[in-house]
Amino acid sequence: MKISELIDLPLIKLNLESKSKDQVIKELSNILLENKCISDLKLFIEDVHEREALGSTGIGFKIAIPHTKSKYVTKPSLVFGKSVNGIDYESLDGDPAELFFLIAMPEAGSNKHLQALALLSRNLIHEEFREQLLKAKTKEKVIKILKTIDQT
Amino acid sequence: MFKLIAVTACPTGIAHTYMAAEMLEITASEFSVQIIIETNGAMGTEHKLKKTDIDSCDAIIIAADIKIEMKRFIGKPLIEVSVTEAIRNPKKLIQDAMDGLYKIYQD
Repeated sequence: MKISELIDLPLIKLNLESKSKDQVIKELSNILLENKCISDLKLFIEDVHEREALGSTGIGFKIAIPHTKSKYVTKPSLVFGKSVNGIDYESLDGDPAELFFLIAMPEAGSNKHLQALALLSRNLIHEEFREQLLKAKTKEKVIKILKTIDQT
Repeated sequence: MFKLIAVTACPTGIAHTYMAAEMLEITASEFSVQIIIETNGAMGTEHKLKKTDIDSCDAIIIAADIKIEMKRFIGKPLIEVSVTEAIRNPKKLIQDAMDGLYKIYQD
């Protein structure tokens, strides 16, 4: 399984409009609904919040990675969003998050998908990788950067 | 060479487990410290620590937000932190290990 099988151009938004954590979770989840990756927006969002309640997925480094294994996921997917001004995501370092990855996994997710996401998580720890994503101006460029994960 | 072992684990097991593992690996290499990391994630346990790894290590970092098997670490210098602590403050964790600040783990 490759990361490029979980994300495609329609699942990328480079100018998120949200101003708060709740709003951005909704904005990203809406993209999943529009692309028929989830069956119920409201209940999916509840599942995302349930994970956040265990501890914010705003890990610092300007990154937030809300994620859930939910029965409302019909297609394993990854949404990427970018906020130019940053959004307060109750991050561990207190700084606003600018890069958002919403990970939607079905309850019985296969290990192949999880392997790709584990690699994404590992790459996000690297500053050069984050810098490239922060600088990316087009969706195509984002896909190109994410595809480098598949080559590792 | 100083030898560390670590276990990382988080509730969903999709992201933080692997971020913490990567961060500890990068930081350990900056300190020229050897590290072996067991990840307990949604894919199950990977790189499960062997008894010889545990016996020969100098210190143990447990970065977990869920319960993990602890009995195997009795008698070793060990610290238990949240998985996010390993992502945020890996340098301090490793420095403290090298400075001998961990307590001996007892059941």
